Amino acid sequence: MNTLRVPLRVVIVGHGMVGARLVDELLRRDADGALDITVLGAEPYEPYNRVLLSDVVAGRTDVAAIGMPLVDDERARVLRGTVAMSVDRDARVVLADDGTRHPYDHLVLATGSSARIPAIPGLADLPAGVHALRTLDDAREIVAATVNGPRAVVVGGGVLGVEAAHGLAGRGLQVTLVHPAASPMERQLDTEAGTVLSAGLEAAGVTVRTGVQPSEVLVVGGRAVGVRLEGDVRELGEVLGAGLVVLACGTVPETGLARDAGLAVDRGVVVGHDLASVSDPAVHAVGDCAQPPEGSRGLVAEGWDQARRLAERLAALAADHSVASLPAADEPVRGPREHLRLPKEGQRPSLAVRLGALMSSRAATDHGIETRGTDVVKVKAGSLSIVSMGRAGTGRTPAPGERTVRLSDPDAGRYVEAVVAGGLLVGATCVGDPRVAADLTAAYTRRTPVPADPAFLLLTPVMPAAAPASSPEHMPDDATVCRCNGVTKHDIASCVRDGASTAEDVAKATRATTGCGGCTEAVCGLVDWLRTTQVADGDGAPEPSTADAPGRPSLTSL
Amino acid sequence: MSAVATHCPYCALQCGMDLTPTGAPSSATTTVAPGGREALPVTVSPREFPTNRGGLCQKGWTSATVLGVPDRLTTPLVRGADGELAPASWGEALELIARRVTAIQAEHGPEGIAIFGGGGLTNEKAYALGKFARTVLRTPNIDYNGRFCMASAAAAGNRTFGVDRGLPFPVTDLGGADAIVLLGSNVAETMPPFVQHLAGARAAGGLVVVDPRRSATARLAEDGHAGGNGIHLQPVPGTDLVVLLALLHVVLAEGLADHAYLEERTAGFDDVARSVAAWWPERAETVCGVPAEELRRVARLLAAASPSRGGRGAYLLTGRGVEQSTQGTATVTATINLALALGLPGRVGSGYGCLTGQGNGQGGREHGQKSDQLPGYRKIDDPAARAHVAAVWGVDVDTIPGPGKPAVALLKSLATDGGPRALFVHGSNVVVSAPNADRVRERLRALDLLVVCDVVPSETALLADVVLPVTQWAEEEGTMTSLEGRVLRRRQATDAPGEVRSELWILAELARRLGSDVAFSTDPAEVFDELARASAGGPADYSGLSHAVLDADEAAGGAGLYWPCPSGQPEGTPRMFLDGFATPDGRARMVAVDHVGPSDDVRADAPIYLVTGRVLQHYQSGAQTHRVPELERLVPDPYAELHPQLGFRLGVPDGARVRIASARGAVVATARWTEAIRPDTVFMPFHWSGAGSVNRITTDAVDPISAMPEFKVCAVDVTPVPDGLSDAGDPLGSLAADSSARTQEVPA
Repeated sequence: MNTLRVPLRVVIVGHGMVGARLVDELLRRDADGALDITVLGAEPYEPYNRVLLSDVVAGRTDVAAIGMPLVDDERARVLRGTVAMSVDRDARVVLADDGTRHPYDHLVLATGSSARIPAIPGLADLPAGVHALRTLDDAREIVAATVNGPRAVVVGGGVLGVEAAHGLAGRGLQVTLVHPAASPMERQLDTEAGTVLSAGLEAAGVTVRTGVQPSEVLVVGGRAVGVRLEGDVRELGEVLGAGLVVLACGTVPETGLARDAGLAVDRGVVVGHDLASVSDPAVHAVGDCAQPPEGSRGLVAEGWDQARRLAERLAALAADHSVASLPAADEPVRGPREHLRLPKEGQRPSLAVRLGALMSSRAATDHGIETRGTDVVKVKAGSLSIVSMGRAGTGRTPAPGERTVRLSDPDAGRYVEAVVAGGLLVGATCVGDPRVAADLTAAYTRRTPVPADPAFLLLTPVMPAAAPASSPEHMPDDATVCRCNGVTKHDIASCVRDGASTAEDVAKATRATTGCGGCTEAVCGLVDWLRTTQVADGDGAPEPSTADAPGRPSLTSL
Repeated sequence: MSAVATHCPYCALQCGMDLTPTGAPSSATTTVAPGGREALPVTVSPREFPTNRGGLCQKGWTSATVLGVPDRLTTPLVRGADGELAPASWGEALELIARRVTAIQAEHGPEGIAIFGGGGLTNEKAYALGKFARTVLRTPNIDYNGRFCMASAAAAGNRTFGVDRGLPFPVTDLGGADAIVLLGSNVAETMPPFVQHLAGARAAGGLVVVDPRRSATARLAEDGHAGGNGIHLQPVPGTDLVVLLALLHVVLAEGLADHAYLEERTAGFDDVARSVAAWWPERAETVCGVPAEELRRVARLLAAASPSRGGRGAYLLTGRGVEQSTQGTATVTATINLALALGLPGRVGSGYGCLTGQGNGQGGREHGQKSDQLPGYRKIDDPAARAHVAAVWGVDVDTIPGPGKPAVALLKSLATDGGPRALFVHGSNVVVSAPNADRVRERLRALDLLVVCDVVPSETALLADVVLPVTQWAEEEGTMTSLEGRVLRRRQATDAPGEVRSELWILAELARRLGSDVAFSTDPAEVFDELARASAGGPADYSGLSHAVLDADEAAGGAGLYWPCPSGQPEGTPRMFLDGFATPDGRARMVAVDHVGPSDDVRADAPIYLVTGRVLQHYQSGAQTHRVPELERLVPDPYAELHPQLGFRLGVPDGARVRIASARGAVVATARWTEAIRPDTVFMPFHWSGAGSVNRITTDAVDPISAMPEFKVCAVDVTPVPDGLSDAGDPLGSLAADSSARTQEVPA
């Protein structure tokens, strides 16, 4: 094509985990400068890892360590602290709060979500001491507030609430986790698993109150002093005193910009498998603000996978782009096939921060994207191990051909569930067994064959090292005593039968102990025992010598 | 006769040994009596030396057996009109080679001839080979099997530290550390006496082994007193890099880094820190299969052992398990980044190191048999380096060719359009040791001329048009450079049998017959002196060394001298980087890297990972060790380890024959059930040719920076071999019985 090529203008609204990832994915795929990227980020900060905010609250990570890679590329401009105010879809321009106009060929909404604030008295304007946990500011304020008083209430027992409650308890606060359902993380865990989790939280110092919800936040002098409960309360009007209230009541997709621009919005911005708005093929949405056909769990892995898929599509469009080739509204939708490619040589990123394994979205069907692999929920709660994935727990509707096996060991804080279909692990829950959790995750994301009897999935498959035989007597005859020289118990026994009376004699005859020397003690013990038993057997072995101190034979004596 | 002090012929630990001549004939013309060590020309006894402290493994103890093997090559062999290799005189063989080389050069130019070297060759031979390629053949096409084992660590070390010496400290320093991390290294099998140097860390509970298998080395971390001697991390194959990124994440998140050191001695830290922000342990767990809390435990253990936090020291060591990967350079870089964040490199008692594998794997990569290098570890595209070396060689600088193709690309290009038509192979058995080996065999068969220098009729030698018999360890003088950059003397204890000659003589003869006037000495001491001059001023500077200097040092009780050893600095450099790194500003260059995953990852029709490795009793392709009855008796056949759960699922009982197929082909081996391996992974040692030769199915995808192939992980399907079907049957198709000789005639 001889047409003059101009770069494809991509405007990204939102510079959070997914927006930043999209920039990186786009730049990595754009070999010949065919892209011109503008990012509008509302927050004034450098990009940071929002997933780690609960670790900041827990004191498990240094705030300085959550900064994500900066964009340093002439093809991309990142405007921090710049809020997109409106989109003129006819003119294909985004208007920002500073009056600037940003024309686009493709617009990507990565506006994320905001914390859901319960509509109860006391929260109309958040008083001091009440915080959501959504931004770096939130996390910093919560950490600052931990010094205000010894008691905290965390409202909401989903993943974030569990992490926050566990983290605050780790800081020494008296934490109550308030949750309306019968057990925490009920979106993932069934009651039995949730009960094991509750017990784990209690053991970590968190008081877990289920079946209750706040009816009011009590405020004195502009500061929160407690939370009034309703539901399964201990007394009518029960109040939990707390100087710190953390709201972890879920999120609401940020769709205002899309709605105002006349795009189809349901819970989120409605997009197809190609992540394009069903209303406008030049507008896309990724991450928490998007509502794709397969649904969304609000996990970063999903958003990153969407970023990768969209980057592949836009980069391909950019490569074909010329002055007159703006996509028509009725352009056939490109399928999701691109993301099935394996990386080729030379496509390796250096600075890229990517999901990593191809696990994220290896499977696609003609019916759409199968997201298995991006839906692993792993709670960050230190030694309290909780993981849920796929069709398991409450996320599962039993289907024909599936088998479910469970191990319930509540007294030891352990609960494992594995769901198998077609020889593959299709879902699992694991509380309280980190080794098994890691193995289940690997089997689930990589679709490796599961055991013929799925019950084996409930225990760790790699056995710990066998305890060394407690005495020479119990050692099998063919056991290797000296690895370096391949000497077995049988070899040493033969040697002693032939008259060897010390480890040095054995070393001369067999070279046992002459490699790394690690078996010297074992050989000495074996020789002593063999001589005793062979004498006892009356087979004429010489009397044991008395002066042989165990130790490595001198090699000069060989 | 008195004992000759030399070093073991096998791995890079270069254990000290004494060889005592027996007076027996140097060549076994018939057969050696089984177990008859007395019939061999020398007897082996271990020698007290810092690397082995008087220990030897079974390979070392039995090494003299190879001197007397019944099928030792003792005369040149030339493939005749009948397609068979037949004895020939040196004159006939060399004249044939010279004639064919000249003809090929005339038709295809100097690039028509290629050389494939080896990491087991002495420094002198490696140097002469590189010089021969660049001055006599004037071909850029020379590379060596070290590309299969050292290239990724070398690339990462050069990039970050400005120089690559496997261990930039004496191996004995390891003994004083509180923590040692072994990444993808199974030293308990590959260099057993090395295990002694882990004793201090084990006693401190600080041995960390990262390996998908609970290998003999991993057991060293698990065994022992209450709580064990350390920690074994068992990642999913191909995800070691994730483990490292997560460890660095924890070090930074928990404020365990040595910021004063980072400020003073490194550059690029901010980028690296940001790049690992995305690898929090819980996310890493979902990719690498190592529980998040175990990652935190290891990071804290390492930090506690680090000098900045009052520990006695920590070392991070990489081996082939993590390096033989399409992200091998990145993985080593991540290891170095972690070491730098903890303030380890360039401090006495701490550091990063790569455990070099082959006997002269260190020296072999310094003297010019690498496609992009000149002697002294110089870059072949550096004008100053070219000028210096050209002056030593006495050639016009413009006649020295530029960089050639790295090993895998070189082998793939053989006898293709524009590729080399002739190949010289020295000290390498590529049809067993190269990845995707059946393709390599095809390429070798298609050549116009294949010349193999070897001591025994290896699988590669059997494919050759001309086989030249060469000296082996106890029959020659020279130097080797150990895994710590310690230059050692190899000494002759017995005469070579029959018509055997050194490569130095062969190269000099060929140079003469090819009409070159470039001087090639056949005296190893003289060659070393020339090598030392050529290396002067380079990163690996040997100019202060000579055979005489090394002999005098040893006589005075010294234990070898470490490069760089410039002429004004006779004591050498046991510990590098103490005052700065070998970069222009003395700072280590930290480079951010990220995980991509294996090139050949599991999928529906290949749902199992295959990893490969070694056993104690065999060395590399087994050309030597399969000929030692004591070793062969213990591990005679290839096998495949798999977990009982996998075996049960697939219908492969313990001891049954199992077929393992990748996108490149299939092999058959005996199944061994073990609970020490992940159920999603099978393991095969690679020391065999034939139906169980695992490198027939490994991938030849390479690291984009180092060009090192991804031996260590690929995706396979595993199926039972039905009863009654022989290995040579359908499961392998045409792969069986492939040792048949070439039938093609040698053009005269």
